[in-house]
Amino acid sequence: MAPSKKKHAKNQACVIPGGFTVLSLQFSSDSAARHSLYVKEHRVRAERSSHRPLDRTLFVLNIPPYCSEDVVKDLFSQFGSVQSVELRDHPGSSQESGPKLSKFFKPAEKQGFKVGYVVFQISSSLPAVKSHPHDVPLVVCTEHRPVKTGLQKWIQQYTNSFIQPEQLQQKVDSFMEDYDKRKEEEAERQKKEAEEEQEDEEGWVKVTRGHKGTKARPHSEAANQRTLQREITKKKRKELLNFYTWQHRNTQKEHIAELRKKFEEDKQRIALLRAQRKFRPY
Amino acid sequence: MHECCSHAYSLLFTSHWNRLANLSVSYILCGGNIGNSYYSATCIICCLQMIPSDSSRQEEDEENEAPVKAKRSKADHAGEEVVYHPVKLSRNDLYRPPTAEELNQLKEAESLFHCSLLKMQMEELLKEVALSERRKRQIDSFIQTVTKLIQTVPDSPEVEVSDLSWLSGAVKVPFLLVPKTTKGKFHMAPPSSIDLIGSYPLGTCTKPNVMVDLAVTIPNDVLHPKDVLNQRYPRKRALYLAGLAQHLASSSDIGTMQYSCLHGNRLRPVLLLTPPGKDSSSFTLRVHACPAPGFFKPSRFHPQRNNIRTEWYTGLQTSQSESSEPPTPHYNSSVLGDLLPRAHLQFLSAVSSQCSAFTDGVALLKVWLRQRELDQGTGCFNGFLASMLLAYLLITHRISNSMTAYQLLRNALNFLASTDLTVNGISLAKDPDSTAPSISEFHDAFQVVFVDPSGHLNMCADITACTYKQLQHEASLSMQFWDNPTVDGFQCLLMTPKPMIRTSDHVFQLCELVKLQSSCKKLNLLSELMDHSGDYIHTALPFILSLLQQGLSQRIHLLTHSLSPDPKWSVESEAPKHKAQPPLSFGLLLRAELSSTVLDRGPPADSPKAAEFRQLWGPRSELRRFQDGDITEAVLWHGESICQKRLVPKQIITHLLQLHADIPESCVRYVGAMVDDVIKTGSEVSGTGEEESLVVVQSYDDLSRKLWRLEGLPLTITAVQGAHPALRYTQVFPPRPLKLEYSFFDREKTSRSLVPKEGKPCPVYITPITVICHMEGSGKWPHDRLAIQHIRAAFHIQLGELLRKHHNYTCRPCPTHLDVWKDGLVFRIQVAYHREPQVLRESLTAEGLLVVRDNDEAQALEMATIHKPLLTSTLHGLQQQHPCFGAACRLVKRWLSAQLFSDDITEDTADLLVASLFLQPAPFTAPSSPQVAFLRFLHLLSSFDWRNNPLIVNLNNQLTAVDYTEIKNGFMATRESLPVMFIATPKDKKLSMWTKRSPSIQMLQRVIMVAAESLKVLEHQLIDGSQKQDVRVILRPPLEAYDVVIHLNPKQVPLLDQAVDPPAITFSRGVMSGSAAQPGGPLPVIDYNPVSLYLGELREAFGDLALFFCDPCGGTVITVLWKPKAFIPTPFKTSQVSARSVEVTGDETKTVPNVEAILEDFRIMGKGLVKSVEARTEKWSF
Repeated sequence: MAPSKKKHAKNQACVIPGGFTVLSLQFSSDSAARHSLYVKEHRVRAERSSHRPLDRTLFVLNIPPYCSEDVVKDLFSQFGSVQSVELRDHPGSSQESGPKLSKFFKPAEKQGFKVGYVVFQISSSLPAVKSHPHDVPLVVCTEHRPVKTGLQKWIQQYTNSFIQPEQLQQKVDSFMEDYDKRKEEEAERQKKEAEEEQEDEEGWVKVTRGHKGTKARPHSEAANQRTLQREITKKKRKELLNFYTWQHRNTQKEHIAELRKKFEEDKQRIALLRAQRKFRPY
Repeated sequence: MHECCSHAYSLLFTSHWNRLANLSVSYILCGGNIGNSYYSATCIICCLQMIPSDSSRQEEDEENEAPVKAKRSKADHAGEEVVYHPVKLSRNDLYRPPTAEELNQLKEAESLFHCSLLKMQMEELLKEVALSERRKRQIDSFIQTVTKLIQTVPDSPEVEVSDLSWLSGAVKVPFLLVPKTTKGKFHMAPPSSIDLIGSYPLGTCTKPNVMVDLAVTIPNDVLHPKDVLNQRYPRKRALYLAGLAQHLASSSDIGTMQYSCLHGNRLRPVLLLTPPGKDSSSFTLRVHACPAPGFFKPSRFHPQRNNIRTEWYTGLQTSQSESSEPPTPHYNSSVLGDLLPRAHLQFLSAVSSQCSAFTDGVALLKVWLRQRELDQGTGCFNGFLASMLLAYLLITHRISNSMTAYQLLRNALNFLASTDLTVNGISLAKDPDSTAPSISEFHDAFQVVFVDPSGHLNMCADITACTYKQLQHEASLSMQFWDNPTVDGFQCLLMTPKPMIRTSDHVFQLCELVKLQSSCKKLNLLSELMDHSGDYIHTALPFILSLLQQGLSQRIHLLTHSLSPDPKWSVESEAPKHKAQPPLSFGLLLRAELSSTVLDRGPPADSPKAAEFRQLWGPRSELRRFQDGDITEAVLWHGESICQKRLVPKQIITHLLQLHADIPESCVRYVGAMVDDVIKTGSEVSGTGEEESLVVVQSYDDLSRKLWRLEGLPLTITAVQGAHPALRYTQVFPPRPLKLEYSFFDREKTSRSLVPKEGKPCPVYITPITVICHMEGSGKWPHDRLAIQHIRAAFHIQLGELLRKHHNYTCRPCPTHLDVWKDGLVFRIQVAYHREPQVLRESLTAEGLLVVRDNDEAQALEMATIHKPLLTSTLHGLQQQHPCFGAACRLVKRWLSAQLFSDDITEDTADLLVASLFLQPAPFTAPSSPQVAFLRFLHLLSSFDWRNNPLIVNLNNQLTAVDYTEIKNGFMATRESLPVMFIATPKDKKLSMWTKRSPSIQMLQRVIMVAAESLKVLEHQLIDGSQKQDVRVILRPPLEAYDVVIHLNPKQVPLLDQAVDPPAITFSRGVMSGSAAQPGGPLPVIDYNPVSLYLGELREAFGDLALFFCDPCGGTVITVLWKPKAFIPTPFKTSQVSARSVEVTGDETKTVPNVEAILEDFRIMGKGLVKSVEARTEKWSF
């Protein structure tokens, strides 16, 4: 299913509108069908990340699930030595936040088609990739680089899933130590801030812009609602019901209104059911 | 249809919902063929465009007149637009002062009915069953034609009764001539009068099966006053009918002509006429031949008088005098019944004219009877009796003339429920003449007594006591439902059919009815046989019923039997023999707690009752000594497993029938547990898994005790809860304790675990049984998601350490869970902290404000640690109340998984659906056999109106009527945003969390279709013994509908032996026979199932392009269905290029799925597991 206009050209790179070059990829040399990888130099103006230097990074789309980072690294080494490979579910800027997690606690990765950011060591590798002819496929699984899929892979996965309790315990301990330290620092800071917010002798409070992570005073809508509700329930508890004549009358009025509403509702429901002819008993 | 498409989605519900069911889908389950209907559910919208707007109802519509149809279709169209909006009345409308009239109306609606809805619903129903004016005109004109034709019957010369030469050969006499001859002369003559009788002139005739009765009076000179003797009159009557038939046969104004007999009574043949042409099925004219009123003296038909002489009947010379002849009450009443129809009509008309709601009341009662299959056949409680009953209630002032139709129905049901006509008969006769028999005389002759206005006829002569008990039972049930505000009374009283196979827990059939002849002999019933004029089936029936009632006594609530349908045969053939009737079915409503006891304990050996007991049970009764020292007569039935014990009633029935009625076991076709086969566990004796479930639960109880007692944990355990179907008895194939063969596996040295070996068959699958272990809340828990995760991991390690130290269990801690290898089972313990979902919901904004936002992660955690354990314990409780709940769930889930629906209707959803059948069984009683629960499940699934109603599962009976209304109103107000299948529970009134993700509307539609088809096929098989018996037919899904079928290598499918049709070859999977291993030993291979791993990978990689289906219980195929939407060429976008190839035309770049490469990927990703990938469709573009 190659683009039609490129069909006649052998040994030529295939570029589609949008600037992507199409590379074909097959699992092993004897597979019949090929996937297409869409590659392009990585060019995002906003991003100033050191992970993806603009002139040396290749943006790869549609990497099949059986290609791990190592395999991709190996595949692209033929165009020049590869510094790093990053595989992601969706294109986008890299986000690294929160404390570093050990592999035991990382959420399971999705095994679908991925996008990749391949960083070469030198920038001249990019043109080499882009001029790679379309009809010469990249081969994933070769003799010197067997890729395990299916049963072999699952058995390996199962074998790798064992965790030594000691190791796990160690990881937990170090994380918690770290966490406690962070917590302590946090508490320290909050205490300082609280001190600053104390009223002075004349009742003045010094208000400063809170730092990231501090708890603000409850000036939210929800808090207001809550106090209002509390007031209402307090009042209700004190009130006498159906004591005065006007209260009694009101209750009756409400009752009739309720009945009317129900009657209307029922009528509408019936109309709906009738429209669907739900009254045939057999 | 253009406007329709613009709001296609709203239409999906309103119109398509009903319509898809009516699609002409050639869906044959047996052949596994969905025909051309390419998976109609997935392309619902396409279908919508193709179907003309009112094609669906056309065939059903009986009224095919053009103007009517046009009107209908318009109405239909308007109907599609109706969408429910919550009522918004303005303040003025709501609070304006009420008028007196309005107040009355509102008050009436409030006080007389639960809600005005019921009143309006009944009015709508009455409109549906009433005859239209057009139909009445048709009927009237046809009656005129027939009357004219009959009046011109030519005279014929007088001949002997036995001489049939005057009849041409084309028309036969509708009578079984046994004995062959009788005295008397007969000739044909025009009738002396022709009158309408029965429901039509009274105005109580209802659709469907419109029957119009026409009485043709036989002229007096044809009959002789002594003709009541020895079937002379009935034979003459039959001859007269044959004469009429011969005359009418030549006319072109008659459509079809058939013989039948009134309520199955062979002495009272009738002639059925239908109009010619296309109206032929719209109504039937029933021609009765009657003597002139008063032609015979009513006193001759006293129930104690004899009108059939033994000498004539047997042909043997006897020296009996007339006084010692046995009475013939049934014969007498059948002749007497012919004399009175006109009088009855007069009587009813008089009553009806006084009470305006009489006809409507009768119509409602008739609908009620019909839904319960009580209104047709031999010994039925027909519409005539219903009218007479209402008349009785009016005359005795139990209901007043000003009452409305629903009040009439309610009072009638109340009367039926509270009055036992088998003991206290009632009479309509005001002042019977002196010759009329007394009520007690009637009781001596008949089982049920309801005397007509003349005082001579018992109108319930043919009704058996069992049928009346059934009627009473139904009436009292209905009253209960009516009084229960949480039950939709209208639906369950008048709209839901109750066929026997779905009502009774066990059903059995007597197949070869000829055998009943010998039962009559064995039971010594000659005189009764004479009374019934040779109908040995209905002669023997009451005796068989009382025999079974006696034998089953405490085990059953109710014994019912089918009413044999009125035979119909063409006028050219002889009357069918008695044995030609369809098999007689009996239904048992079991008492769950007693029905399966294996011991019937009788009276002490020396008591006088012992002889009676021995007489009943014959050689099976033996003296036994019990632990309390008593020595009593007892019968011990065979039964080891629960599944066998469930069939004890079968043993009793076959034994009693063989012993007392000479009916061999081969004639009894017992339909009690035919479906249970599919959940039979292969290896065990023959159990259906109850015992295995019990072992699992016991092992779990032990573990939970041990967990509670653990010491040395920093926080205490506050709760240990099971969260796995096996712990509520609903796992399809419950896990069995295993003993492993270690040489079969590889070993992982460092953690002492077994690992599957490459090249060997996949090892046995071990299900981890989830157990949630709640830890005490404490300030020590951190308030941070990651920290909680780590603490939890630490708990897992520590729990594992303690369990190993104290109990020597092999454990494997992970961050998310702890696996414990115990008694040959694996338990997966998850530590939970009750505030964790809250922590997951909290997050800090950039300004440092705390925001609480609901998210999927928190919901999933709440589901796993709170809702699932709660559901498990609740359903565990339900199992204790209803012993067959678990088995029913397992049958249901086996069906769902076999039909590849287990991903759409999840286990929890299925369990909830089944629970609803037990908690809200209306209009039935709670099922007491898995089979009947399964049938009702299929019916629920296929007939429930998911669009307009929430299914409310009242677990633990926590919901009140107020909650019900609240749920319903909330549901109606936000219908569009709620899941298509909405299930509310006490803990979940607004969201239906169990069905939030699935099923999708398309899948639900398909489930409904398949359920309806399965129900049809299965019921047919269960009822009809002559069919090929293979209940597994409903478990074989049709594969034609799918685009790709991936065949798996059976060697690598670990659950292969659970397959619907397990293959002949079995693979060694590393299991040894023998009891489970001792504690300790290496950890087995847990939760390793290549099929589910493969499915998971496929769904992650290709979930956007296709749907994948597989039977988790040993399925060896994975079926794939492309999503039509994914195959529409889309412009090139970096976020949507997965597994797609590009096509460039000019400047446009479009992408389409790269199907060849995907198919190749299927093979690559499942290497070793996949045998072949079969692409069925060539059409990849849509």
